[in-house]
Amino acid sequence: MGETILQMQGIQKYFSGVHALKGVDFELKAGEVHALMGENGAGKSTLIKVLCGIHKRDGGSVTLFGQDVNFHNIAESQAAGISVIHQELNMMNHLTVAQNMFIGREPKKGIMIDDSRMIREAKALFDRIGVKIDPTVKLGELTVGKQQMVEIAKAVSRDCKLLVLDEPTAALTQPEVEELFKIMNDLRDKGIGMIYISHRMDEINRISDRVTVMRDGEYVGTVNTADVTKDDIVKMMVGRVIMGDKKAASTVPADAPVVLEVKNLNAGKAVKNVSFQLHRGEILGFAGLMGAGRTEVARALYGADPRQTGEIYINGKPVNIKTPEQAVKNGICYLSEDRKRYGLMLGKSVSENSAIASLDKFIKNGWIDDKEIAKVAAETNGLLRTKTPSMEQLLKNLSGGNQQKVIIARWLMKDCDIFIFDEPTRGIDVGAKSEMYTLMEDLAAKGKSVIMISSELAEIQRLSDRVIVMCEGRITGELDIADATQEEIMKYATMRD
Amino acid sequence: MKNKKPFKIQQNIIMLLASVVLLGAFSLVNPNLIKDKYMILSMIQNFAPYAIMGLGVTFVIATGGIDLSLGTVTIASAVLAGKLYTEGTIPLWATIPVMLVIGTLCGLLNGLMVAKLKIPAFIATLGTMMVSRGLSALIAGVPNIFFPTGTWYNKTFSSLSVGDVSAIPVGMFWVLGLMLICMYLMYKNKIGRYILAIGSNEEATRLSGINTDNYKIFAYTFAGLFCGIAAIFYSAAFPTISCATGNGMELDAIAGVYIGGTSSAGGVASVSGSVIGAALLVVIRSGLNMVLAKLGINLNSAYVTYVLTGIIVVVAILLDIIKTNNQNKVKIEKVEEAAKAEAPKA
Repeated sequence: MGETILQMQGIQKYFSGVHALKGVDFELKAGEVHALMGENGAGKSTLIKVLCGIHKRDGGSVTLFGQDVNFHNIAESQAAGISVIHQELNMMNHLTVAQNMFIGREPKKGIMIDDSRMIREAKALFDRIGVKIDPTVKLGELTVGKQQMVEIAKAVSRDCKLLVLDEPTAALTQPEVEELFKIMNDLRDKGIGMIYISHRMDEINRISDRVTVMRDGEYVGTVNTADVTKDDIVKMMVGRVIMGDKKAASTVPADAPVVLEVKNLNAGKAVKNVSFQLHRGEILGFAGLMGAGRTEVARALYGADPRQTGEIYINGKPVNIKTPEQAVKNGICYLSEDRKRYGLMLGKSVSENSAIASLDKFIKNGWIDDKEIAKVAAETNGLLRTKTPSMEQLLKNLSGGNQQKVIIARWLMKDCDIFIFDEPTRGIDVGAKSEMYTLMEDLAAKGKSVIMISSELAEIQRLSDRVIVMCEGRITGELDIADATQEEIMKYATMRD
Repeated sequence: MKNKKPFKIQQNIIMLLASVVLLGAFSLVNPNLIKDKYMILSMIQNFAPYAIMGLGVTFVIATGGIDLSLGTVTIASAVLAGKLYTEGTIPLWATIPVMLVIGTLCGLLNGLMVAKLKIPAFIATLGTMMVSRGLSALIAGVPNIFFPTGTWYNKTFSSLSVGDVSAIPVGMFWVLGLMLICMYLMYKNKIGRYILAIGSNEEATRLSGINTDNYKIFAYTFAGLFCGIAAIFYSAAFPTISCATGNGMELDAIAGVYIGGTSSAGGVASVSGSVIGAALLVVIRSGLNMVLAKLGINLNSAYVTYVLTGIIVVVAILLDIIKTNNQNKVKIEKVEEAAKAEAPKA
């Protein structure tokens, strides 16, 4: 490890209603891989965004290569040698690999873009970091893993000194992860400092030199990876015990009736012959790796996407669900993993967002009773402890966890029987997370049935009565919670053809 | 409500004041503008069809869509109904349902193309605009269509030339009545609520169990129906209709809607604003004409109107953007204060 290249001290950040960073410290040395860890919503991404100029900090100092800096946009931080590989890649799928790499700084020959030189340079770069990618193919044809390599190569070509990798392995296969780590080790030898964000403990142990842990927007501490165990880090991340233990046994009575049965569901390429049953009062966990087809099962079942085959029975009766409208009429509701795109009306009030699915209840003689809506919305959001100054507050001014609660309020007001939660705690803070757990348990206790899709094994183990594991579009395992150890779940989750 | 209502009203009051101030300023230059009651009537005659088209298309724009076929569909409805009437196929009263049906069918066609065939609204309605214009002229087969003058029809919907009764600007009352209906539909009926939801986030609305296609089809069909209504007022006020008119009318009507505060991105709509926007534009159109004539300026008032309208649309929307940004800042500060106040407790 070389000298310190980055020093962040006492970083403060406020966002509409949330104190997102409460005096965070962070340090990075040249040739170091420094893991940044914390639960969803701990403030890791916010810290990175402050670093690279997407967000303006409200307090604290940033020193880069010994100089105080305050970047106003990504262009400035890039010029200073910082590159960020985001979780969601922001690239142009219709352009070729080389075009993506040189976007905005294309080599020119007169007034023409020098394509052959661009391709040559791209090839040289790939050779340098040791990956085999054809620079002339369209970026969209590459796997996510390869696309990430392209991003890294792009960063290297920009002469980057500080590379941020935000959950780069989330969508990678094991061989791709190995390739990534090889590249990271090379870069480390070249003296590049890397900030590595990941949730995967075993990776942290393998790749990182030091770990900084954040919780609830606060700086918890920095430790040498070699000095600590996995459990130490988890303790730092979680602080108080919010996960709780694994559920010991199913709490669903053996004679609980089947409320939902899905038979031979096929939809697109992502869902292959899926059949399962859901009982009254049950929390059914759907585990699996990213891209296993769990979201696609939910969307096909909900009528959001078309399906090729598949019968759906509710309380033993066959139902025809081709649109979300029909699903809702049959008492099913779906809370998407991607709230912003599929759930929120950001420009509308808490009240309007809460009532959109149950509007019919509030119509008297053809007139919408807005007072009644505000009253019921306030009651329901009060039960969920949604933090908002008023029911008229626009949703875009609430934090992620509170936005999620408003969507849950939407379905509570509709009084659905079957709740499909898709990654219900993604992007919400730790406190809200445990509330979300209590809420799902309450729903089940009241005789509602819950399908919970989650990529966090601990979450699956903590809540589910039964676990269905998917891999590559198929159900590869079904486990009673008593047998659902992490190893067992992972075994089925990686059971490829 | 507390946060939103005063803002909307404020914007409307600014626009209303702007109309009155402009009217006053123009009248100072040429007093005939308000002294001559026929001038006022003529302004209202001019105003009614645009305001009605604007009311209808407000629903389309609220979904995040657009309808470029307003003007030509209005003229096509009038031309085709007038053709049937002048040939003696139908009596005068029957032109009313014919216009309404033609307008509605064109709107329905737009709605089906946009919602079911997923054709972008701009392109679908551009197609309808061209086809309706060409087809109606072909079917009419004559350059001009003549509606009667001085009948009950003119009195009911326009009333310029009939004695003293004409002093009552009937068009105004019709527009106000239609505005109230639209306000009810937009703000107090689930149709409007869903349409605004679609404009905010269509996919989220669909996943909330709402048949978004149907509400989009409704919005376009409703705009079509209002084109049919606009055709009634247009033909009563301007009994000689050239098949070649109608071009650019839609843009005037849409400009009025934007000036009135409806967001071009959808999700936010001001029904009364659409009427006020149309009024502002009509004041400019009629007023400039009179002022230029009085001052002896040898410029084509239509072109001057275009220049001024263009500037007003852009400035009105710019003001709106600035105001929304400021408002957000204030709101975020408020939320942050609340969060800070809560922090010590936690």
